[in-house]
Amino acid sequence: MRILVSIDDTDNLESRGTGEIASLLAKLLEEQEWGKAQVITRHQLLVHPDIPYTSHNSAMCFAAEIKEQHFEEYLQIARQFLAKESAPGSDPGLCVVDLERLKNEVELKEFAFKAKKIVLNKEEAYEVAAKTGAYLSEHGGEGIGVIGALAGAGLRLSGNDGRLRGKLKVNAPTRLITSGEIKQQSGVEVVHSTEGQMIEDDELIYLGETIKAVMLDGRTTLLVFPNQTEDAKWQTCTKNYLKQF
Amino acid sequence: MWKINDKGEKVFSLGKEAWQEAVAVASVCTYFSLDDDDELVSEEERSCYNCRYRRWIPESFVCLK
Repeated sequence: MRILVSIDDTDNLESRGTGEIASLLAKLLEEQEWGKAQVITRHQLLVHPDIPYTSHNSAMCFAAEIKEQHFEEYLQIARQFLAKESAPGSDPGLCVVDLERLKNEVELKEFAFKAKKIVLNKEEAYEVAAKTGAYLSEHGGEGIGVIGALAGAGLRLSGNDGRLRGKLKVNAPTRLITSGEIKQQSGVEVVHSTEGQMIEDDELIYLGETIKAVMLDGRTTLLVFPNQTEDAKWQTCTKNYLKQF
Repeated sequence: MWKINDKGEKVFSLGKEAWQEAVAVASVCTYFSLDDDDELVSEEERSCYNCRYRRWIPESFVCLK
């Protein structure tokens, strides 16, 4: 079965980040040989004075294939793990969506995109979770991480939000590499320009300091923009540009 | 460079796009600590915008140190 696992608000200023916790949750699934996790995406939620986030208010989510007989056990372990690993003072939330049993998908996505624009509360999150069949739980503090956790799942489901956790692994000593080689080495599915132009596999790209992918149209995507030099027609985007995703 | 908001917090008064100034401030700050890679937004690593002690607010960030 295919699931989404999303978490939010597990950290404090000094602790490891929510991304690392998500990574450990994904690893746990694979170590038990219960399934295989896909990339982790980071989803930016609303920054607002009425929302008590730690420093940036982002949720982390991954999709996974899991053997059905291990689903309940994994859910149990994930709950315990989150309760144990979350930092003091945090308000962790966990959302797990069984994609085959998901109802009212549109409502989940609507909630998710609303969480990027307006202040939502826990009651609204639980209401949407009940309508959609998403599993939602809180694990300490005020538990308001359930809002971001549910939103993170909806945003991942949309396929059009978030940047991938970590940097793409690409080996190019000269910093010049073709689009096709990038896809082959990193596993990124698509390379296209910030204007939406597909980059052919034989086109050269200059790798900047940041080689990060984003999620667009349900595919892991490396965005590039026109390069000013003659070496390559394209170059990877800066962190500053990518922060909008 | 800084102003105090009504909660008594130290707010960076130049907003979210003052890249050079955020680098200059961080270069002499003894509390600077690089945030997780996934949260970095400035190409210059040592920048208040990349610091784990900055808390983003709608118009800028609050320095928590």
